[in-house]
Amino acid sequence: MATKTKEAPAAAAADAADDLGSRDRDLLLRIYRAMVLTRAVEDRMVAMYKGGDLLGSLYTGHWHEGISVGAASTLRADDYMAPIHRDLGAHLYRGMDAWQVMASFMGKATSPTGGRDGTLHYGRLDLGHYNLPSHIPANFPVATGMAFAAKYRGQDKVCLAFCGDGSTSRADFHEALSMSSVLDLPNVFVIENNQFAYSTPISMQSKSMQFSDKAKAYGIPGVTVDGTDVLAVHDAVAEGVERARAGKGPSIVEGITMRMHGHAEHDPADYVPPAMFEEWSKKDPVELFEKRLVAAGVIDQATAEDTRKQARQAAIDARKKALADPMPTAENIEDGVYAD
Amino acid sequence: MAFMPTDTLPAILNQDAGPKDNGQATYLEAVALALDHEMQRDPDTFIIGEDVGQFGGAFKVTKGFLDKYGPRRVVDTPIAETGFTGLAAGAALVGLRPIVEFQFADFISCAFDPIINVLARHHWRTGDPMPVTMRAPFGGRLRAGPTHSQSVESYFAHVPGLKIVMPGTPQDAAGLLISSIRDNNPVLYLENKYLYRRLKAAGPLSMDPIPLGVANVVRPGRDITLVTYSAGVHQGLEIADELDKEGISVEVIDVRTLVPLDVETIVNSVKKTSRAVVLHEAAKRMGYGAEIAATIQEEAFWYLDQPVARIGAKNTPTPTSPPLEDAVIPQPAEIAAAIRAVARA
Repeated sequence: MATKTKEAPAAAAADAADDLGSRDRDLLLRIYRAMVLTRAVEDRMVAMYKGGDLLGSLYTGHWHEGISVGAASTLRADDYMAPIHRDLGAHLYRGMDAWQVMASFMGKATSPTGGRDGTLHYGRLDLGHYNLPSHIPANFPVATGMAFAAKYRGQDKVCLAFCGDGSTSRADFHEALSMSSVLDLPNVFVIENNQFAYSTPISMQSKSMQFSDKAKAYGIPGVTVDGTDVLAVHDAVAEGVERARAGKGPSIVEGITMRMHGHAEHDPADYVPPAMFEEWSKKDPVELFEKRLVAAGVIDQATAEDTRKQARQAAIDARKKALADPMPTAENIEDGVYAD
Repeated sequence: MAFMPTDTLPAILNQDAGPKDNGQATYLEAVALALDHEMQRDPDTFIIGEDVGQFGGAFKVTKGFLDKYGPRRVVDTPIAETGFTGLAAGAALVGLRPIVEFQFADFISCAFDPIINVLARHHWRTGDPMPVTMRAPFGGRLRAGPTHSQSVESYFAHVPGLKIVMPGTPQDAAGLLISSIRDNNPVLYLENKYLYRRLKAAGPLSMDPIPLGVANVVRPGRDITLVTYSAGVHQGLEIADELDKEGISVEVIDVRTLVPLDVETIVNSVKKTSRAVVLHEAAKRMGYGAEIAATIQEEAFWYLDQPVARIGAKNTPTPTSPPLEDAVIPQPAEIAAAIRAVARA
């Protein structure tokens, strides 16, 4: 029941290299490739935003890659998740195509919603990914429902519910946590604490010392980890997933990171003290993990460079495809308001 | 059926009900019978809401269901309308058919967000169906006051993607609930709690589904069309009997479902009678009657001899005290006068 903080600071990266030998090498490589690809796609999309390729604003997850991929990499293919707009990493890890995400930000016919919805709303149920509405906390109760259905059918599937620090203030958060805990649902609630709810710092959002403290109120485990350490996140979420799969109910994992861009690309984030950006710039989760893999001999420097190069090319190719894809036509716009 | 409010809310709340058809099922029992029928038929259906299990529901609609179906399928929840409505959405998304009970329609505002932003637009956005039935007892005449008496249909009728069902008889309550549960869309099924124990079926109920979007001409007439639903049907039938003695033949149409709306039946009637009045107990301003009246003038303007009249509640919250509530919700004398005025003009 206790809320705890796991110490896994960046300084641990060098001397933690030893523990990588005991880990599944393929899993480490999948995590690494997804993080590198996520960064490459988001960097490319920032350029696309600036170049006028995109419809509206762009929401990125720079410095969220550790939480997003770390959490998603604990799931089986048949599990569910309700990700947020910082979770491109989770989507890509589980099979979303980068071009499809770009197509969503362009309102293309080939986006997951065919242009009916767009920008960050690119979930796909065939992958088990809920496609959330604009107000992020609404996906928390939905995530309890996906978990409820699994339990109802006697399946051992779990559903990850992601939110930011900001979403924890909403009633949806409280009601979903209440429901999930009293019904012992197979959920893990992942709080991506990136220090700001749009412009509002965490000190103006909550008196809790850490967001995982909120677990105490629901009588469930809560843990806070370094969100820039992908393996710390993976391990903490894996523990919650195992617990949920075993029918022991939900838990909270908070990953602490920083939102390194504005709320979206239109937002210069002038409200963030420059020293904060400077301090956090030293904790790039992708870079930290890469260094750790190289130091442990899981990959060599040439492989790392090659992986980054391939990811960059994949992002360029994805942009080409998305740009070439058609815009939707409006002749059937009133179809599908109701299901048959 | 007389519309003399003799009992109050607690008297209704404390009575028992169970899903047994004795040939004279009440409106409430019809709801319970249909729920029981679908719970037996489809193992993917489950009931979720406040006090629905061990307590059998605030109005006792689900009395006995927990014993029969167990806590897996009859799920008591914390007081968390957003939480359990959102849960229903998630469960529906992956193939279950949740049946949500709101204790009072007044509390549905606490779930406005998941209904509007999650349930209603999900299929259009993604192509994934959201088969969630939301039951809610609504309406006045029970001296229950401003936040226990509301008619909420108009809030939701504006939202693409929701269906709205408002049965007025025990048979319709059963057949329309069965269709609602089998429908692949979010359906708001509004039960008139004033009718719960006042209406009795004239024989055993059929458990055949009644299609959504088909109005019922409950009384044929020649001179004027009264378009209404829910408790308004019974007010309308009584008044039609009275006006018949005065030589005014009223055709009474129970639309039964607001979304989808059976425009054809309404328009065909107006083309025959050339006069129309719309009645509901929701506030007249922006009430669903405005949509019906506008539709009639769009579709049958040149057949009309008079402007379409609307009868609804005054634009105030629903009061508690009897003389005040009666002054706000349409009463038989004023309904009769309104119909007479249009019919004789």
